[in-house]
Amino acid sequence: MGRLKKLAWVASLLVSVMLLLLPAIFKLDGKPHADWQQFLGRFHPSVVHLPIGLILLVPLLELAGRSRPALLEAAAFVLSLSVLSCLLALTLGYLLAYGSGEAGGGVARHMWGAIALTIAVAFSFLVRGASGELRQSYPYLLAGVLVLLVWTAHQGGSLTHGDKYLTEYLPAPLRRAPEKPFEFPDSFYARHIYPVLDANCVGCHGRSKVKGNLRLDTYDRLMRGGEDGAVIIPGIPERSTLLKRITLPKDDKKFMPSEGKPPLTPDEIAWIKAWIQQGASPEVKSLVGINAPEPYHEEPVPQVADYSGKMGEIAQAAKSAGVTLVPVSRNLGDGLILNTVNAGAKFGDAQLAGLARFAPYIVEAELGRTSVTDGCFDTLAKFTHLRVLHLEGTAIRGTGLPELAQLPQLTYLNLSGTGVTQAAIAPLTSMKNLRHLYLYNTPAQPAAR
Amino acid sequence: MKQHPLCTDPDHGPTIMDLPIAQGMKAEWAELQTRRHFLGRAGKVLGWAALASLGDRMLNSDAHAASVLPKPQELKLPHFAPKAKRAIYLFMSGGPPQMDLLDYKPNLAQLYDKDIPESVRGAQQLTGMTAGQARFPIAPSHWAFKQYGKSGAWVSDLLPYTARMVDDLTIIRSTNTDAINHEPAIMLLNTGNMNAGKPCLGAWLSYGLGSMNDNLPTFMVLLSKLNPKENNQPVSSRLWSSGFLSSEYAGVGLRSAGDPVLYLTDPKGVDRDVRRKMLDAVNEINRQTYQELGDPETNSRISQYEMAYRMQASVPELTDMSREPQSTWDLYGPDAKEPGTYAYNCLMARRMAERDVRFIQVYKRGWDVHADVTGMLPVLCQETDRATYALVTDLKQRGLLDDTLVIWGGEFGRTVYSQGGLSPDNYGRDHHPRCFTTWMAGGGVRPGITYGETDDYSYNVVKDPVPVRDFNATVLHCLGIDHNKLTYKFQGLDQKLTGTTPAAVVTNLLA
Repeated sequence: MGRLKKLAWVASLLVSVMLLLLPAIFKLDGKPHADWQQFLGRFHPSVVHLPIGLILLVPLLELAGRSRPALLEAAAFVLSLSVLSCLLALTLGYLLAYGSGEAGGGVARHMWGAIALTIAVAFSFLVRGASGELRQSYPYLLAGVLVLLVWTAHQGGSLTHGDKYLTEYLPAPLRRAPEKPFEFPDSFYARHIYPVLDANCVGCHGRSKVKGNLRLDTYDRLMRGGEDGAVIIPGIPERSTLLKRITLPKDDKKFMPSEGKPPLTPDEIAWIKAWIQQGASPEVKSLVGINAPEPYHEEPVPQVADYSGKMGEIAQAAKSAGVTLVPVSRNLGDGLILNTVNAGAKFGDAQLAGLARFAPYIVEAELGRTSVTDGCFDTLAKFTHLRVLHLEGTAIRGTGLPELAQLPQLTYLNLSGTGVTQAAIAPLTSMKNLRHLYLYNTPAQPAAR
Repeated sequence: MKQHPLCTDPDHGPTIMDLPIAQGMKAEWAELQTRRHFLGRAGKVLGWAALASLGDRMLNSDAHAASVLPKPQELKLPHFAPKAKRAIYLFMSGGPPQMDLLDYKPNLAQLYDKDIPESVRGAQQLTGMTAGQARFPIAPSHWAFKQYGKSGAWVSDLLPYTARMVDDLTIIRSTNTDAINHEPAIMLLNTGNMNAGKPCLGAWLSYGLGSMNDNLPTFMVLLSKLNPKENNQPVSSRLWSSGFLSSEYAGVGLRSAGDPVLYLTDPKGVDRDVRRKMLDAVNEINRQTYQELGDPETNSRISQYEMAYRMQASVPELTDMSREPQSTWDLYGPDAKEPGTYAYNCLMARRMAERDVRFIQVYKRGWDVHADVTGMLPVLCQETDRATYALVTDLKQRGLLDDTLVIWGGEFGRTVYSQGGLSPDNYGRDHHPRCFTTWMAGGGVRPGITYGETDDYSYNVVKDPVPVRDFNATVLHCLGIDHNKLTYKFQGLDQKLTGTTPAAVVTNLLA
């Protein structure tokens, strides 16, 4: 082994030890340090792409070098540059984290990844220049470097873009359920405060990045506060640091969200203020004077089995019964609506029984003002996917109503203008999903208030 | 092609209708052809030129050509599971003054007779009726407001019945329009365009969703009787027209006085069988005409004759209110007994909803209060407030509000400044497009909320504006329609209700 090579090995070992000791000497304690460190550190996000590009080039050159040996020489050169650029990027990155007081699991992972990567790249370079058995391990080392590179880069990306960035728009079936459901999912905190913090603050005050030792991703941590103490003082919004920081003038150094991210909307600030004012409770469901709209989301429609092969049969049966069976929407899985308005009194129990073979596809049965009787419930029990059932203006008295208990999805039942009594509807109380029950103009109608 | 009686072209040749090409293309060609007949420029040369313009489609597959003129059943609507199956639109024609009814402005009281700040009015162009005024003195509402319901919505003392149902309403204070005069504004609201010729909301719904009840029109219009003391702006059938869609999708109006539909009963000596035979013969002639000319309007006529025949049986049943219980009259009030009143029409709208009429539009004229607001507004509210409340309440108790969307509103709002003289007990209000209040209730919308905010003068929207196109997009959404997907190709454009300016569904209004 030449003298120069020996020197390189010794230097690499020394640097490695230094790198490994770095976090112990300059501890990432979550407190900001010198401004010059931050100034230089902020070049990290741009410089970091240099080693990424160079490292990725190395295996390509090695492969291409098999047919064009000149490229093998280039590989050695690029690899040496990789080592230097790794060191530069790592230094800047460390200055950024140390200077701005970043800490947290994500920062630590990114840091250790970068240290391991730098050491691995340096030894790859040495091993490549070595001879004998040691040289044999080079391809494996290089493969390891690539894996480390991807992992470390992902950790870094998660710090800047938030750790949901990559998976947010993942196709639904591949997504994981949220880690911990809220203790009080109906609370004002869960529905309005948490989503605001999650969208605006948790990127820097969350699991993977903990600026100022403050995490806002759970209620407990929000109330615990950060290195300057509590940020929420229940009942006293004026003294709550969190509210103060988000309501400073936008050009104030301490304004949050920092780094030019968009400020919270007046509504969001009003919600936070009112929530603190009224006790910052994790349970309370609504606040006096605050009319916050529920975030809108479409409820998924329960689906029925595929009936596309039976369309002709269904149309035929509907026609002979004088009724229509129309799809709820263009998505056939949303089911069919049985509409009897054209048949009126000509539609009775027998006609209903005739349609029973399509029962599992029918989600809505409009039997109002037809001549069905209490005998229809035997048939209706087969309509297992029924969500809406209209029986208004029919002659039923309700003796068959208990059979409806077999319809787990039934949410709407209209018995207006029928002969049902309080006793007849009593069995309906066991139906958990039945949310709309209409008894207008029946003996069972509750007395007017 | 057989010669049309009005066509002087002596040349007889093969007709395009005989060619083995797709039906959709024939239909489009026929439309061009009939337009030419109409213009009196009939001729083979133009005909073939028109066909040539369809040439590229002709070369393509039949499937593509057939998609040129999709029939409603081929549209595959609704696009998604709808919350509402039908809608009732209570149209307050003339422009109700929002700050006297639902847009509470407590600060105005101190500003009585002060001029509205220039900064608020901006460079807005006013109507010819007030542009010449030397002053624009603020006229605070004559009526007090109170908060009602769990939602705490502010309602004027003029609307004691509406006040009772605020928890069922989705009040939008930030609706705004582009037009400042009645005709363009009412066209814009109904058809999405200020110029006549576009289909209205009801026509789009009837085209897109089709009929639920074979025996009644899909889209019905109820005009309320005029109160001659009120300032009644005309409403015309342009507002319920089907525009470029086939005329079978246009609204069918019921008369406000006399028989709801003329000639509903067969004349003496004509029984149902004779009527049927007559219609069969007429239909046969019409079918021949269609074969010769291919004008789709001929088919519309056939279906309209058939609908009229069925309506001879269904309308008497619909309009026979003798079996309504006393509770109905107690709810809607005594006006409901008098055919053609707004109250009667509200009750009729409920009966139509029960019979699965897809879209019902009730027009109440007279809201154009340029002068004597304190005299006229109590009359208008007395005519409408109770019946509107009765309709929503009645739908709710009967379980119909779950899948019926009720819409209340006019074509624009009114100015906070007085038109003409301002005195402590009277003032007038001019047209105001920048903000007005509407509400919805029922299927698909979130009850008990007030959406959008206007400034202290009820002049400009300061938060959550809802332009007409977004309003209509939201209505369509409640009925399971993606407003960007319900289109019809006409004049080289995929026409839609919400027009070419991008519109958005206001999701905060949705349940």
